Amino acid sequence: MKLHPNNVIAAIGALLCLVAAPLWAEEDPLSPDGAFAEAIQNAQRRTVKIYGAGIGRSPAYASGILVSSTGDVLTGNGVYLGADNLRITLPDGTTHPATVVRRSQTLQVAHLKIEANTPDFFEIPVKPAAGKGDWILAVSNAFKVADRAEPLSVNIGVLSLRTQLDARRGVNDFPYEGDVYFYDAITSNPGAAGGAVVSTEGKLVGMIGRVIESKSTNTRLNYAVPADTLTKFMSGEETAPMVAETPSTGAKGELGIRLFNLGGRKSPAYIDRILPGSAAAKAGLKTDDMVVSIGGEIVRNSGDFNRLTDTLKAGVETTIEVKRKNDLLTIKLTPAEAK
Amino acid sequence: MNRFSVSRCGAFAALAPWLMCGLAVLADEPKPIDPAAEKKLLQRGTLLSPKAFRAAAKKVLPSLVTIEGFGGLAAGSGQTKGIHAPGEGPTTGLVISSDGYIVTSTFNFIRKPPIITVRLPSGERKVARMLGRDETRRICLLKVEGANGLVVPEMAPRDELAVGQWAVALGIGYGDSEAALTAGIISATSRIGTKAVQTDANLSPANYGGPLVDLDGRVIGICVPLSPAGQQEGAGSEWYDSGIGFAVPLTGIDKVIAAMKEGKTLQKAFLGVQSKPTGTPPSGASIVSVVPDSPAAKAGLVKDDKLLALGGTEIMDVTHLSSVIARYVAGDQVELTYQRGEEKKTITVELAVAPPPPPPMKPMPVPMPMPPKDPEKKPEDKPGENPAEKPAERPSEKPTEPKKDPQPTPPEKTPQAI
Repeated sequence: MKLHPNNVIAAIGALLCLVAAPLWAEEDPLSPDGAFAEAIQNAQRRTVKIYGAGIGRSPAYASGILVSSTGDVLTGNGVYLGADNLRITLPDGTTHPATVVRRSQTLQVAHLKIEANTPDFFEIPVKPAAGKGDWILAVSNAFKVADRAEPLSVNIGVLSLRTQLDARRGVNDFPYEGDVYFYDAITSNPGAAGGAVVSTEGKLVGMIGRVIESKSTNTRLNYAVPADTLTKFMSGEETAPMVAETPSTGAKGELGIRLFNLGGRKSPAYIDRILPGSAAAKAGLKTDDMVVSIGGEIVRNSGDFNRLTDTLKAGVETTIEVKRKNDLLTIKLTPAEAK
Repeated sequence: MNRFSVSRCGAFAALAPWLMCGLAVLADEPKPIDPAAEKKLLQRGTLLSPKAFRAAAKKVLPSLVTIEGFGGLAAGSGQTKGIHAPGEGPTTGLVISSDGYIVTSTFNFIRKPPIITVRLPSGERKVARMLGRDETRRICLLKVEGANGLVVPEMAPRDELAVGQWAVALGIGYGDSEAALTAGIISATSRIGTKAVQTDANLSPANYGGPLVDLDGRVIGICVPLSPAGQQEGAGSEWYDSGIGFAVPLTGIDKVIAAMKEGKTLQKAFLGVQSKPTGTPPSGASIVSVVPDSPAAKAGLVKDDKLLALGGTEIMDVTHLSSVIARYVAGDQVELTYQRGEEKKTITVELAVAPPPPPPMKPMPVPMPMPPKDPEKKPEDKPGENPAEKPAERPSEKPTEPKKDPQPTPPEKTPQAI
């Protein structure tokens, strides 16, 4: 057989297995149904189907995860929650009327309750259950495919990245504050929101988020609200702003930069004029420099420039990066008090 | 069930012989494997594969750069109708020389930003100069000055690629300094006129310009949007995250890289013939008409000449001719063998840029889709085609808009000049 370079890793894997085989021979943790079967079955026993009211393109159904033995369910926020006859179908096929306990705008998560015993539920882990590149299994009722007692659908993927979903820059009109997990299983589908994302050990990684589009990439995002964020929601912590703004004790800062204003907010931030004696003048900024970043945040255009300079405080040093001819200069300067 | 059942099973199955091979290497003579033990090995290999994905990613990460554009068209505008327009976020590039040549995708500049900066792995930001581009591969070359000691990644030799092997894609288009990782398999080793490798790893604007790597962290290719039929800038990006993705290998295209360094724009090659198949089974392509002033006309080709070979590749039929032409770019000199009457001749032609399409007022000949290469359509079985090389027929779980066929089947008698 031709030895492929990629075989090396497989061979090492095989070697490890061979060496370790006697150790595992007694009690083998693997399921006879395959590497993922147990995790999937575990997750399916802890996820539910939710039915409510639909308006326009918003679906009237969603998925949810059980988080207590007494009928507490977490799901994604959505118009379907406004229904008079909100219903939850448990994994055993029984359907129960549900009430909304609480919903969070900043996390787009809702807490529902049914009057039923739910002995199988997710313990929300303290430590992340999966890292970048790890397999994840997404369990949800996307497209309402599963009916009554039918287990929910499963997609496999790998965890791509944990990053902040920047509501201002990242997503259209989506008031989410905090981190998300991106993965490469497709879950940006109606009804998937509220489903479970679990590790190969069946531990909860996060809860599938709603169908949204990224402004960064103009693509639909497949993402989950991380388990630790769900813990914050359950404890009510998220009601305080999660991203604390710098207390606005200081006076507003002024750099003394005036931009060319030709093409509106979308034109690059070219400096037209430096006010004499200003912070920018002292720091050596010049006409025709193009501002690339302020305080580490990218300035793609004059709109970004105005937004970022508005947040500067007098006397607080910041870093500005400018393009001068073909060089990038990094300059530190301290804004003066705005008049 | 889901995408796993359709495609990734293939990868697990493909791992099986490797695992067995690993065992065979260890033992002096091959031993029969207990089927139950084999099943367990496979499971362990599957559960361990994320470690391999991370190790592969780690090798190529020092060569990834973040590209940012300033100014240009607003997001969503420009000549991107029907195509997924780039967003406002940063995009990915790959270092190919220690002194600052960077390959990325032309997709990232559809909005034509006049100013481009590159953030190197060290975190340092530099102004980048746009050099040349290859529009057929959707790649382009950037150069930053004053950089040295950049890490050049290892390239995977193309002849070592195999359908079913793991592939890991990395991109920084979500704006985080950390790259997002997606994993899948190689679905086909040769697509779009041999210029691309196909993968089922989810690729999107978050990846375009970034690398697809093998499990050794070697670069298989640069992720780009491509489509067998669509020539429009950005065509193929509508297939983002669908399981049909393309990466353009950088090995064996030194000429292309050299041309891009000189600032050249490489475009789709055009010969200038309309042809029909001859013989059963077809062999060669018989010329129906020659486009005036085209490379074919300049080379003296006339109606009823039969094209037999191009660049040493025997022409099977008309569709094959167009796919062979697609291996080249305009300006390439190619040996062409043809038959006139009983006489066979070999000449050299210089392929050119296709003339602009006729104004849309007249009933125009619509571009001929290439059915066997279009994954949207049922491919007809071609003799000798390896079924494993076909695109994985994995339906996207994303609800697709009702597909409008942008290119209705043209009338039988009006072949497109190629």
